[in-house]
This record gives sequence, C-alpha cells and structure tokens, in this order.
Amino acid sequence: MQAGIAVEHLSKMYRIGRRRSGSFRETVSDRFDNIFLKKLDAEDFWALRDVSFNVGQGEVVGIIGKNGAGKSTLLKILSRITEPTEGRAIIWGRVSSLLEVGTGFHPELTGRENIYMNGAILGMKRPEIKKKFEEIVSFSGIDQFLDTPVKHYSSGMSVRLAFAVAAYLEPEILIVDEVLAVGDAEFQKKCLGKMKDVSEHEGRTILFVSHNMDAVQNLCKKAIWLNAGQVSEMGEAREVCRNYLESIVTSNWNKKFITENSIPKIEFVSLDEDKIKEGEFFLRMGFKSPHVLKPPKPGFVLFNESGAPVFGSNTKLHDSPINEKALKEGVIGVSVKGITLYSGNYYVSVWLGDSYRDYDHQHYAIRFTYLSKINYTEPIVPSAIGSIDPLATWFVE
Amino acid sequence: MKTIIEAKRSGFSLNFREIFQYRDLLFMLAFRDYRVRYAQTILGFTWALIQPLLTLLIFILVFNKAVKINTGAVPYPVFAMTGMWAWSYFSYVIMQAGQSIVSSQALVTKVYFPRLIIPLSKSIVGFIDFLIAFLMLLSLMVYYRVTPSINIFVLPFVIFALIVLSLAMGIWLSALTIRFRDVQYVIPFLVQIGLYVSPVGYPSSEIPMEYRPLYYLNPMAGIIDGFRWSLFGTPLPDAKYLVFSGVGILLLFVTSIFYFRRTERLIADII
Repeated sequence: MQAGIAVEHLSKMYRIGRRRSGSFRETVSDRFDNIFLKKLDAEDFWALRDVSFNVGQGEVVGIIGKNGAGKSTLLKILSRITEPTEGRAIIWGRVSSLLEVGTGFHPELTGRENIYMNGAILGMKRPEIKKKFEEIVSFSGIDQFLDTPVKHYSSGMSVRLAFAVAAYLEPEILIVDEVLAVGDAEFQKKCLGKMKDVSEHEGRTILFVSHNMDAVQNLCKKAIWLNAGQVSEMGEAREVCRNYLESIVTSNWNKKFITENSIPKIEFVSLDEDKIKEGEFFLRMGFKSPHVLKPPKPGFVLFNESGAPVFGSNTKLHDSPINEKALKEGVIGVSVKGITLYSGNYYVSVWLGDSYRDYDHQHYAIRFTYLSKINYTEPIVPSAIGSIDPLATWFVE
Repeated sequence: MKTIIEAKRSGFSLNFREIFQYRDLLFMLAFRDYRVRYAQTILGFTWALIQPLLTLLIFILVFNKAVKINTGAVPYPVFAMTGMWAWSYFSYVIMQAGQSIVSSQALVTKVYFPRLIIPLSKSIVGFIDFLIAFLMLLSLMVYYRVTPSINIFVLPFVIFALIVLSLAMGIWLSALTIRFRDVQYVIPFLVQIGLYVSPVGYPSSEIPMEYRPLYYLNPMAGIIDGFRWSLFGTPLPDAKYLVFSGVGILLLFVTSIFYFRRTERLIADII
C-alpha cells in the first residue's frame, strides 16, 4: 500500500492584532465597523507561506526551525486539526499525531481506562488496543499503577503511558511533535529507539519535529528547515541540520574584551577551529593586570547546549610552568588532546585569578557549533550519555 | 486511504461513514463522562436517583397539593414523572452538549476526529439517565396501578423525536458556543424557562386557546403531550401543532448539522 505525503503550496494565515473574545457584542460592533467605518485593525499573519514538499513511503523526515517558524502549524494542518488558507496536502494512509502526548487523558480515569480512551482518540479500534495492551503496559512501565487514577501519576508516568499508546498504534504515517521535551533521559532514548525501529523495520512514514539535532540526524534521512513560515532548506538531514545549527549560533571562535587599568582582566580568548576538528581542544587567552599576578591562575569550562559542563581545567588542578611565574600580562594556552564531541552547540567560559582570588570571569565567551564526522547508528541524547564520545573499544573475554 | 486537505471544503457534506468509523471513540467518550460523573462523591450513583425524586416531590407539593391541578384519570405523581422523564433528557443534552466542544478544547486543538462525536456522546450519556428514569416511572405506574394505553406502540417514535430534537438543539448550541461564549450563559436560563413553558408539571390543556399557537412554538410541548398520549391516552393537541412541531424538529436538525459543519472547520483557530 502506498503511503506518503504531498504538500503543495500550503499557506496558513491568521488574523492578529486585535484581541477578540468572539462575543456577540463584538461581532455586532465589527459588522458595524465594517459597514460604516470600513476599517478593521486586524493584521494578516502568515504562519506558513507557500510550503511544498514530498515525503515518500517509509521516509523519516525531520522538521526543524526556531520557535514560531511554522512547524506546529504545519503539523496541525497535516493532522487535520486546522485547515490551510491556501494550497493543499494529499496524504496516503492513516495518520496519527502525537502532538503533546497525553492529550486525551482524563485525570479521574485509571491508567487502563485511559489506554483505551487514548487509543480511541487516536482512531484505534477496541480489539486493536486489546491486542497491544500488554505491550503498551510493559513499554510504559506502569504495571503497578494500571488501576490507579491518572491524576495520581507523576508527569513522567503519564507521558510514558501516552507515548506507549501512540507508539503501538501502527498508523501508516506518524506525526511526532516534541515528545523529547518531556520525560527523563532514559525514556527519551527508549522513544527514539522505538521510532527508529518503527521506521526501519515497519516501513512507516514519520514526520518528526524536534530541537534535538542529534536525534533528527540519526532518525531522519531528510530534513526540512522552516524559517518564518517558509522552507529555508530541504534535503539531506545532516546537511540541513548543520546549516540550521550554524544559523542559530553564530560560531564565535575568538573574542576580545575591553581591559581596565584598575583590575586584572582577560584581554582575549580564542579557540582553534581547525584543531578541534582534529580532536584537540586548543585554547589561548591573553590577560593584562595593573599589578603582578603571582602566579596568574587561568581556567576554563566547556559547556554543552543545555548548559551542562562537559569538561574544564585550571592551573590549580593541572600543574603548569605558569605556576612558577609572576606576570603582569601575557598569553596563556591550554591543549586537551583526544577529544571527540557529539554534534551540537558548545560554549566556553574562562576565568582569571591568582593564588588568592578570582579577578575576571567571562561566561560563554566562546560559542561554536560542532558537527561530528562519525555516523552513529543510535540517536544520541547528551543528557543521558554525555557530550563526549569516548571512542570506546568493546571486547569479549 | 487517501485524504486531501484543502481550504474551503464543500459546505454540506456530513461524513456518516467517518462518524461510524469513530464509533469506538463515541462510546468511550460517553463511558468516560459517565464514569467520572460521580467521582469523589459520597453518594455516588445514588445521585442519579435522588435528583429526579426530589424534583418530583417539589412538583407534587406545588402543583398537586398547593395548586391542586386536575390531571384526570392519571394520578399526579405518574403524570408529572412522565413529563420529567422527557424533560430531563432534553435539558441534560442541551446543557451538556452546549458547552461540550468548548470544554474539550484540549482534545479538539490536538487530535483530529469528527467533532460531531462530542455532542453525540452527550446524548448517549443522557440516554442512560433516561433509562433509569424510565424504571422509576414504571415503578410508579405499578404502584398506582396505571395500565398503559394501546397507543404505547407509538412511544418509540415519540422517544425518537425527543432524541432528534435534543440533539438538534445540542448541536446548535455547541456550535454557537464556539463562536459566542455568551451562549454558555443563555443555556441555563433557557432550561429554566423551558421547564415553565412546557407541560412538565401541568397538562397543556390548562393553556388558554388563544395562547396555544404561541405555546406550541416550543417543540417540547408537543413531544411531552405525545409521551402522555402514548402512555395514558390523554388527548393530543391539534394536528396542525403536531405537524408544526415535526417539521420544526426536522428543520432544526438539518440546520444544526449544516451550521456545525461550517463552524467545525474553524474550531482550532477560534476556540
């Protein structure tokens, strides 16, 4: 059976400007304005403008873009929640959408009842759900709480349950929006794994909206980058993701700072772009001080996108020839070899002090986008596995 | 399965097949409503019996003891219970269906299914109460030894008319509420007035002749008369009023679906 999506010149317009309550009085007064004043201060806003693309059977397509770029509007049109203003979309196959999981849950109903409820909302027949019931329960891991009202569940539990229902639904086309924004890291991995499984072994078409570029690159062959309601780029997922990442974070490998005469300050920081591609973290920083620092004590920390520290060093921890010196100004460098990062955006913060205190701290002084050369077969969730690829070697004894 | 999503779908196209495909959801929604209805109450299901019994008691006090209304051969409690049987179904459906779409915002803005399912499910929930009330009426009839008239075979048709009318009103109000939240405040008022201008606690024969054309503008008047006629053989109103009610109900139903379909397309954008 053929399954796929053809989107042709799809546009969606919203009227914004005046806040409308939709009350009867307002409608009457609007009519009045229309007839007698010939003016309404509403503005047209195109959430989507002339979007066209094709998705073939079994293709997994990532949709990326900033908040407000039209991703959700597109998914809403494709899942028939709202109608387009212009253009059309043709869909072959049954569509199920996972827009904000747990939508159909009723707090007073038990987990068991909610599974049936949610299945029915997503268009499943009762026998279908019955057949999958055991699998759904074991995937979600809520066995003990099956007969507890969902209102007593933790938010993580209800998300797990909702995803489980949708994942076992078996539609030809699955629309997934930001499931990864919720749930713990372990469950995120489970979801990604399930989605990969579904697309690879069952040949189902998936539209996947996410801000996790690693997940998009690993699950999707193709990606569509939406910007201000229009397709900014469409094509091979890795390529599109790289361009998107580069566009949102303008990589900033060098930074200069204004120095003062009264206190010790960092003058500049610079990270070697070519060396990091080769696996070497090579950072240099210049400093200037009104008095002699005995010795100068520099430090840095590398952070990942979500602000978690990846690694760091300072001369108190790692001894250095600097510790023998007394300087008023100079350039200090540090090299960390054998570093393989996962793709993503990174930040470097730097410090300067002496034996007694810290003088200068430049938070997120350097920003850069790193794209791994390695093709991982599993989606990577940094919050679960970290940001460094240890290039581990596994063996059997 | 091929779906075309386009702007401006044709006006009147009620997809019955689609609604039939979603019948599981229809019953799940009704089940959910029924299941959570008496959640966290002490009396629980007993409420389904207490409410109509108390209303009946008040009717007996006001119309039978105080006003001493004449209901002919039919004992007053049986007479009033019949009116309430029909009326409570009608009022339940229009109250619940009226705000049904707005109160399931979370659902309609996130998942697609034929929206008509939502008000439809309310009429199913109402029907369960309707059956319970029927049992209460039966017990009263047995207690007062009232034998049903031979017109009783028409009763299913009258019940059908009641369901169609309730649904029509419910669908109209639910679609109107999406656009005009004002309707939410009108509905309880409508139900309150309706109770007085329908022959629930008194016979329609009490209405003076010259006011009857106005009185039968309310289709519930004809329906409640129909209930009593088929159960006890009490007189029916003029044929012209019956025809008027019938046509009115049909018209309401057709237009309700038409208007609902028109509003349905905009739900996610304006709700």
